[in-house]
Amino acid sequence: MVAIRAARMPRPPRFGATPLMMQETAMPNPNSEILIDAVQLSYGSHHVLNGLSLNVAGGEVYALLGGNGAGKSTTLSALLGFVRADAGRVAVGGIDPARDPDGARRRIAYLPENVALYEHLSAVENADYLLALSGTPRARAAIVEALAAAGLQERAYDQRLAGFSKGMRQKVAIAVALLREVPVLLLDEPTSGLDPRATSDFNTLLHAVRDRGTAVLMVTHDLLSAADVADRIGFLEGGRIVEEVTAEGPARFDVRGLRDRFAGRALAA
Amino acid sequence: MSAVSLIARDELRLMRRNRVAVTAVVLLVILTLVAVVTSWTHQQGIAAARAQHQAHADHAFEAQPDRHPHRVVHYGHFIFRPLGPLAAFDPGVDAFTGNSMFLEGHRQNTANFGDVRQSSPLIRFGQLTPAFVLQAVAPLLLIFLGYGAVARETERGTLRPLMLQGASARAIVLGKLLALGSVALLIAVPAMIGFALIAGQAGAYAGPMATIVLAYAAYLALWVGIVTLVSMLVRRRRDALLALLAVWAVTVVLLPRVAPEIANRAYPLANRLQTDVAIARDLRRLGDSHNPDDPHFAEFKKATLARYGVTRVEDLPVNYKGLLALEGEALTSRLFDHYAARDFAAQAAQNALVGAIGLVSPAIALRQTSMAAAGTDFEGHRRFLEQAEAYRYDLIQRLNRLQAEAVTYADDTAEDAGADKRKRITADHWRKLPEFGFRAAGPDALVRASLPGLAVLSGWLVVIGAALVLATRRLGARR
Amino acid sequence: MTLWRHETRLLLRSRLALAALILMALLSAAAVAAGMAEVARQHAAIDAVAAAQAEDIGAVADYVDRTKDAGSAAYYSFHPTWDSPAPLAFAAIGMRDVAPYILRVRALGLEAQIYDGDTFNPELALPGRFDFSFVLVFLAPLFAIALFHDLKSGEREAGRARMLDAMPGGRRLWFRRAMVRFALLLGALIVPFLVGAILSGVGVGAMLLIVIVAALYLLFWIGLAALVARLGHGSTANAATLAGLWLMLVLVIPTFANVAINRAVPVGQGSEIALAQRERVHAAWEIPREETMRRFYASHPQWADSPPLPQAFHYKWYFAFHQLGDESVADRVRAYRQGLERRAAIANSLGWVLPSVGVQALLTRLARTDLAAQLAYQDRIRAFHRDLREFYYGYMFRDRPFAKADFAHAPRFGAPLTP
Repeated sequence: MVAIRAARMPRPPRFGATPLMMQETAMPNPNSEILIDAVQLSYGSHHVLNGLSLNVAGGEVYALLGGNGAGKSTTLSALLGFVRADAGRVAVGGIDPARDPDGARRRIAYLPENVALYEHLSAVENADYLLALSGTPRARAAIVEALAAAGLQERAYDQRLAGFSKGMRQKVAIAVALLREVPVLLLDEPTSGLDPRATSDFNTLLHAVRDRGTAVLMVTHDLLSAADVADRIGFLEGGRIVEEVTAEGPARFDVRGLRDRFAGRALAA
Repeated sequence: MSAVSLIARDELRLMRRNRVAVTAVVLLVILTLVAVVTSWTHQQGIAAARAQHQAHADHAFEAQPDRHPHRVVHYGHFIFRPLGPLAAFDPGVDAFTGNSMFLEGHRQNTANFGDVRQSSPLIRFGQLTPAFVLQAVAPLLLIFLGYGAVARETERGTLRPLMLQGASARAIVLGKLLALGSVALLIAVPAMIGFALIAGQAGAYAGPMATIVLAYAAYLALWVGIVTLVSMLVRRRRDALLALLAVWAVTVVLLPRVAPEIANRAYPLANRLQTDVAIARDLRRLGDSHNPDDPHFAEFKKATLARYGVTRVEDLPVNYKGLLALEGEALTSRLFDHYAARDFAAQAAQNALVGAIGLVSPAIALRQTSMAAAGTDFEGHRRFLEQAEAYRYDLIQRLNRLQAEAVTYADDTAEDAGADKRKRITADHWRKLPEFGFRAAGPDALVRASLPGLAVLSGWLVVIGAALVLATRRLGARR
Repeated sequence: MTLWRHETRLLLRSRLALAALILMALLSAAAVAAGMAEVARQHAAIDAVAAAQAEDIGAVADYVDRTKDAGSAAYYSFHPTWDSPAPLAFAAIGMRDVAPYILRVRALGLEAQIYDGDTFNPELALPGRFDFSFVLVFLAPLFAIALFHDLKSGEREAGRARMLDAMPGGRRLWFRRAMVRFALLLGALIVPFLVGAILSGVGVGAMLLIVIVAALYLLFWIGLAALVARLGHGSTANAATLAGLWLMLVLVIPTFANVAINRAVPVGQGSEIALAQRERVHAAWEIPREETMRRFYASHPQWADSPPLPQAFHYKWYFAFHQLGDESVADRVRAYRQGLERRAAIANSLGWVLPSVGVQALLTRLARTDLAAQLAYQDRIRAFHRDLREFYYGYMFRDRPFAKADFAHAPRFGAPLTP
């Protein structure tokens, strides 16, 4: 593992073990990199977000768990400034993405569900290009370092992406995200389609990112993958958090209990 | 119902549901109808105008007063190239060649007043004729409707299931061909209506018309085959579309323009000034009637006097000036024929080279076939030029003979006050001279001229057909 | 700056884009080369005029010198005129392939001479020339379509669009990409032209103007592609829509407009002028010669003091009725010309709404290969013909002998009039 430059945010305190509790609204936390407060958002007559509140601080992995149509993608879109909330407050590092999308996006690295990069460029070239695009160009040495940190085999650095597996593509994307040194990482179903080995690699990597002080928000419909990696899990339903649980002890989450409670709500895939 | 027709029906239903496709077909049908109507009225208008001009010119010629025959040689005659009925379908080079010609003694004039120099400059973008629509536009529509025929199934992965359900690759391909082929038939119908209009006219022979129908059918079938083939060979719809557009742009737009450039370079034509100067040079060498010491005409004079057994031209029973004119015209005309044959040969070589390039561009092959069958190609124009020259020579020599026989040498050389009246012969002579009548090529000749292009199109059909068979065998197996 | 380099590399890594750009450059270069070869051929033909003319006129001079008759000199002497291609002609051959650029005239009736054509193969002229204007007007839009139809939809279909949009400065990305494609396409198109233009000695102003016109024309098609992209269909639908638009704008509407314009502005057949002129010329043989001279002197008093006609044939009478024949059809000639100009004017104004037509019209205008240039050449021929008449009349009407040396004094086309 290589040294990665310190994130800009000070290391926040780890959340202590708090009992499971229903949260109607999260209290705005001054350390929150990601802040969503009582957000209402609808497409025409269809209400997607219905008083959603959550916050993610630096150095924390938050998994937003929900079924189809629960509002996961819309939440990410709101954070990226693609859609504007009808009411409530959205902030990324204090910046309203709807008002200053570029300002917010400068603080965000975003990995879509299917990481699609340029097939006719090599891993290094992809990283080189995407970093330049996001205004944070890096030298080849740094890129190679990050690719190694992301777990990409050395011989793949200069290969065109056309033959890469999904896991390898994701590693390239994560390397880019690491090199951008942004305080926020948004992940959309990061482990879907990864084999167990790749999933495990990914989780390790994600913890390394978190430990550098990055606020990580991942949306998923897979309770197991959320429980593996998250510090907190928010259950999204009908456009709001119906329950939030925090990791506790060596077992972290009571996966069985959570599944029993939420199975009927069609959370797990 | 057979698998083939089921697949064809399915494909056609898909096209019908595609609003853009339906609009495009409707637009093309309208465009063809407009082209048929404008082309038809244009041809009728031109044919009528030229007939009227010809009648006017004939009348003016016959209405000449008593004149010296040599005055009539210089008065000359205007002739107009008539436009055959098939020009309403494919006017060919009609607009690019002069269609009227002034015939006079000693000189061979060019055919003048071609439409290309008289109509709006937009004529260089192409002419709206049924032939143009079928040659250039119809293939593009077939591409739009057919590029996805097989590529769509490949891209969406529906090809395998279709085959697993029992549809053979052959049935699938034949079905797609049938569907696209019926669209091609639909596109061709309006143009055939134009044919019905033409068929009633004199000079619209069945043979050439059948050849044209055959050639266009082969051409559209060829495109149906090419579109389906590319759609089979390519994995993605977009690649199929781009590849087909490239094939279309190269064969229909680019090559027809590049080929003439190559032909021009390979067989340069002498310009008129150089030809005229060369003719004048040759003439001085052969016999210069202006030169009293010219050996040819000295010999001619000696032979003429000997033939009539006299010693002076004044004693000849005929007008020696008329004889001289006959001889002079014979000399120049021979040179005109020689140089015209040289130019025609160069132009024919140019067109043959373009035809050879037509081996790689079916659009060129079709254009040549179509024009040849319609009699509106270069050969048609050449027929006119050659008949015009033959008529000119005949007319001028008749007039020269009149001078030799009906005007006395004494009168012809007199310069007294009454001489002008004595030199003239009566006006009824002009009415006895034959009128120009263009003899268009017969049906056999037209069909024969269109055979090379037709052979190229058939060859292409065979090649594409074979490629389709091969591609069908590999369909599904590869993926 | 590095971002531009990145975008350029990204574009050039795409096989389709690279192939398109190379092909564009090759076609442009081939068209420029073909145009330059054609112009060189025309220059060579014009350069060869002098030698051929010297030989021809030498023979006439030998013959005329025996009689020293100015009328025979005027009757038998053909004088060459030519229309040298402008430096830019290589880029747009225009009408120069179907209209003569060399024409010999005599001092006889001009209306029977000025419409003569040169030898050309109509089947070769039919499809149009392969020159730079063709590449620009017809082909360049197809390349613009190939490069721009999937500018955005391609990223969407590859699944990258959301990721790219999530990058800071997303909108500038599309602008940069469009600019890179545009600049490279314009470069591939215009560099061969600029090389040809420099070799042909085209002025900087004209070169710049054409670069701007080419750029604007490409931008029109790029804008069209952007509009079509806004409909939100896939790359394939975009390509099909754009190709359909190309067909309409470049092929169908211009051909349709040609029919409409020719209908709207009827132009009497030029052959009617030739027929009418002949009738007037030959009618002179049927009326007293003095009548003809009286009419001629009335409109040309400078020759009125010429001695009366002799009993025998005199060429001044012959030339006088030829000139009267020309003058009798002057109104028809004017109407014919106005009709042609009107047709061209309508076509050119169509160019304001139809870029394909506008660019073609502008290029042929700048290259001096359009109808206006043809008519200007005819004007120069008419002026030269006037000089010829003046020159020969000076001998004929004054009964001055015309010797071999006098041939050298005849007006020369393009040279200032020798008094």
